[in-house]
Amino acid sequence: MNMTTSILLSTLLTTTLAAQAHDPKEHKKDAENPDCSEMKNMDHSKMDMDDPVMKAMMKKCKKDMHHDNENNESDSDHAHDDNQNKDEHAEHKH
Amino acid sequence: MLSISAFFKSLLIIVIAAFLAGGLFIYSGLYPIGADTQHHPITYWLLETLREKSIARAAKGIKIPTDLESADRLLAGGADYNDMCTGCHLKPGRTDSDFTIGLYPSPRNLSSSADGSIHSQIAEPTSNEAIRRQFWIIKHGIKASGMPAWGPTHNEERIWNMVAFLQKLPSLSKSEYQILTARGDVNDTHGTSH
Repeated sequence: MNMTTSILLSTLLTTTLAAQAHDPKEHKKDAENPDCSEMKNMDHSKMDMDDPVMKAMMKKCKKDMHHDNENNESDSDHAHDDNQNKDEHAEHKH
Repeated sequence: MLSISAFFKSLLIIVIAAFLAGGLFIYSGLYPIGADTQHHPITYWLLETLREKSIARAAKGIKIPTDLESADRLLAGGADYNDMCTGCHLKPGRTDSDFTIGLYPSPRNLSSSADGSIHSQIAEPTSNEAIRRQFWIIKHGIKASGMPAWGPTHNEERIWNMVAFLQKLPSLSKSEYQILTARGDVNDTHGTSH
């Protein structure tokens, strides 16, 4: 009885592992990240947004580019704040 | 002049002799089976014609999805192509590998549209016939060629994704290929680097 159960279980386990042999999730562990640096340097006005390759690249790099835009905006906000502070300091000096 | 019965007797003797000679040749071990010895041109033509005619007949009724150009298909198919196919069928920036050098016939370089290899009867890459052919080959593989059947372990949607990616592959630059085939998420980069 035990022998039959263990044979059945090992067969089931082997079959399950074989079925999951190429599950995309298995590749996530050592997955390469997209290098979106070239996308950022591209002239977006010259991009063909109907091109499926461009659409796919935009989709893949969207989060990265959005993240950079947020950083740029926050950097410019900081610069704006710094200028305001400098003006305030100048006013205090007068 | 030979009578009909004498003609058939002679024919039977020729057929039996041919079978015996073929059997003797097979059992003698004289056939050079190594992949580093090329086929005789006639053998090559026979095998290539057999392959192409068989695939063309089998792939005839395959229905091509209408959304083969979708970005999602390209991204999913690109990642699978990178994991499963580049060893033999290469990627932008690579012109050979141990497999392309060692396998016979050499696998086609799918990242190059100007592949001047021996695949003379392959239809134009953009034609529906070529698309059906690619799907069938990925799903069923080809006997004794090194091309496995991915059908038993991959559903048809995944195979169509790879076919979708193959339509764009010859036009991709190295950096475009990298972005389309990377399985990782850009969020992972931020998660680990910050």
